[in-house]
Amino acid sequence: MSKPLSIEPLQGIPSVWRADALADSAGLVVATGSSVLDAQLPGGGWPVGSAVEILQAHSARQASHCEWRLLLPALIHLSHLTPASSGALVLVGAPHAPFCPGLAGQGLDTQRLLCIATTTSASRLWATEQALRCADVAAVLAWLPHVRSEQLRRLQMAATVHTKLLFVMRPAQAQAESSPAALRLLVAIQADSDALELHILKRRGPPLAQPLLLPARPARLAALLAIQSGPLRQPSQGIEADHAPAVPATPAAIYTLPKAGHALDRIAAAA
Amino acid sequence: MHWIALQPLPEPAGLEEGSGPAAQDTQAASADGASPVLADALTALGWWALQFTPKVAQIDGEAGQGVLVMEVSASERLFGGRKQLLRRIYQSNKPVALVKYAQAATSLIAIAKLQVESPAAAASRLSTNAHANIRRPPASQRDGLHGQQSDHLPPSLPDSPPDILPIATLAAARPHLPTLARIGCTTWGQLRALPRGGVVRRFGAELLDALDRAYGTKPELYPWLELPEVFEAKLELTARIDNAPALMFGARRLLAQLQVWLLLRQRGILALELGWELDARRQDASTGHLVLRTAEPTLDMGHVQRLLAEHLARVTLHAPALYLRLRSLETAALPGITSSLLPDDVRQGDSLHHLLERLSARLGADHVLCTVPFADHRPERMQVWQAASPMSSAAAMAAVPPPASTSAFFTKNTKKIANYSYLTRAIGKNDAQKRQKPGTRPITRADALYPTWLLTQPLKLAVRDNAPQCAQGGPLALLAGPQRVEAGWWSVQKSDASPSAPCALRDYFLARSEQMGLVWIYRERLGGRGKAGQSVQSRADSGTGQNAEWYLHGLFA
Repeated sequence: MSKPLSIEPLQGIPSVWRADALADSAGLVVATGSSVLDAQLPGGGWPVGSAVEILQAHSARQASHCEWRLLLPALIHLSHLTPASSGALVLVGAPHAPFCPGLAGQGLDTQRLLCIATTTSASRLWATEQALRCADVAAVLAWLPHVRSEQLRRLQMAATVHTKLLFVMRPAQAQAESSPAALRLLVAIQADSDALELHILKRRGPPLAQPLLLPARPARLAALLAIQSGPLRQPSQGIEADHAPAVPATPAAIYTLPKAGHALDRIAAAA
Repeated sequence: MHWIALQPLPEPAGLEEGSGPAAQDTQAASADGASPVLADALTALGWWALQFTPKVAQIDGEAGQGVLVMEVSASERLFGGRKQLLRRIYQSNKPVALVKYAQAATSLIAIAKLQVESPAAAASRLSTNAHANIRRPPASQRDGLHGQQSDHLPPSLPDSPPDILPIATLAAARPHLPTLARIGCTTWGQLRALPRGGVVRRFGAELLDALDRAYGTKPELYPWLELPEVFEAKLELTARIDNAPALMFGARRLLAQLQVWLLLRQRGILALELGWELDARRQDASTGHLVLRTAEPTLDMGHVQRLLAEHLARVTLHAPALYLRLRSLETAALPGITSSLLPDDVRQGDSLHHLLERLSARLGADHVLCTVPFADHRPERMQVWQAASPMSSAAAMAAVPPPASTSAFFTKNTKKIANYSYLTRAIGKNDAQKRQKPGTRPITRADALYPTWLLTQPLKLAVRDNAPQCAQGGPLALLAGPQRVEAGWWSVQKSDASPSAPCALRDYFLARSEQMGLVWIYRERLGGRGKAGQSVQSRADSGTGQNAEWYLHGLFA
């Protein structure tokens, strides 16, 4: 009986990992802002220098766009790392106009946003690749509904060569297709609770049996809504509290109105 | 002193029949297609030569055969010795493909050698001698690519004494050639042996002067070549060019010349104009032009080329183009860039303004957008989308510094949102600590109720039982609101009831549907926009909620 082959010599190679463990990320990662998600990603964050595919349902009945909820913490973190002159965030073919006051409210520096409004698939691909090649771009968010595998591979190569954060948004129907992306996620909103259901379709590591649940709302909004709906409601079990420390204020303390408030301006609880 | 004489040879495509043995030789040797011809090859070559020495002069010969002379002894040390310098001059890319060289201690000897050697060189080429004096760069090199350089220099001819040079090679002696021949004077040495006084009386002082300069006993002074203030070069297109993108081939050559000009003037190009002349027999409008601007002065012809290609792709030519002309419209002084010793510091990729210019060139400037916050209560006007050309963004930055703009925007909104500012203060404190950048943003922000996506056109929602319905069906549960926005009525009063009146009388609600998650909807108050000047009666009607119109305006993603 021969000794089982040792994998010790292979330990240092980044592209080799045990089947039951996550791979060590070969390159940089950017923290996702959620410890639950970080724990499930190789390297502990969004990989810089390889495409991340985010699949969402785009049917007529249900058109969800959860990109910001998922990516904003990482993008904000990234914008703190890079100087303003060289940290552009490029949106290629965004489905709607990003609402900058809302994004700025969550901490994003909206001066960095660069929106490329194109409709044709070819020009979206071209613009995405050009943006990846630019030294002053920090991250590229591309909505590519009709991208093919070889085109995605080309984008992936460009992201690798220029070490860029690349997120490709695709419809959920694409989950059966093969993809060169290093990380593929399927995102859906749970109908009954306000949680994001995150299926990791592909990662460098073992497949994930259970979907991850992330809070679908930013902490401040969630706190505000909790106050609106009367008694403070704790986030439902299983949903991570999104790093925000527990809302420190009791309702009594919060409802002390500031002097400047006007009666007509007040947010009334929904009937 | 060391002089080099250069003579651009006519290129194969633009060749007239029988213009000299050397020309015939090159014509025989060239089999490739027609390449465009620089209208002023001598000047182009002169500018190129200026990078080696400031002492470059053009000497107009007979029959348009201009010669360029350059004195290089002062710059030998800079380029690492005479041999290195000559290797560079002979082997680097030149704006003219075919150049003949000769070198000597004085310019007149160099010119004389140039004229003497051309038949010999032709003969040596025919006998496939390796020491050909006419060097043809490989085709790839001529296209501006760096081809494989052959390693041998043109032969430095034995420094034969100038005495044996034929008298016809001295330009000043040419008017007197028949007389000189009749007195049996055929070489420079024989002319020099004649008594000086007699030569001056018979042929004039110029001949003796030239002879003295040729032998180096008198200084050689030329009107040195200077760069013009404005770059302008013309190119003759020898092949028929019907489609505009094909003009790029010729434009590349002009751009290479422009780059030399910019390098020597130490400037970067800001705006240039590419013009073309069409075959006038076909069309009345026989010229066209294209103006190209860059945001920052650049020397990078690769970037200019890409921009030019994008612009040319949209141009249609109505007739074949004959001439191409490049002119610099605006330049700016370009400071030198200190290059880094470490390879890691070299930036990968191009800069943002290159990207913006390239994207704008292909997709159109109105498709590459950046946002500027604007103080308004109407959500659709809180941000202004503008073309993200580097110039405009730089101007915007100068007008409103980034931190000030956001803070100004939000402090102007505090009146409206003061009601929940207490809440943001409580929660935002932790945000600010987490962000580690205290003071960059005010803590008092009440934008938690703002969505992240905004629909450009508000989507009208169906209403059932006085409650708005989700676009996909199903009721919408109102979670927070109303947030009342009443703005824009001042502009309506002037043009009453126009359909595009920007008046907004809205109550915004945060609602939730099972299909779409959180949405931002509003209800038109007082019967909707454009009807701000309604009577009290209709106001009372709308207060009951009858016929209220609901719109979807934002998505929380």
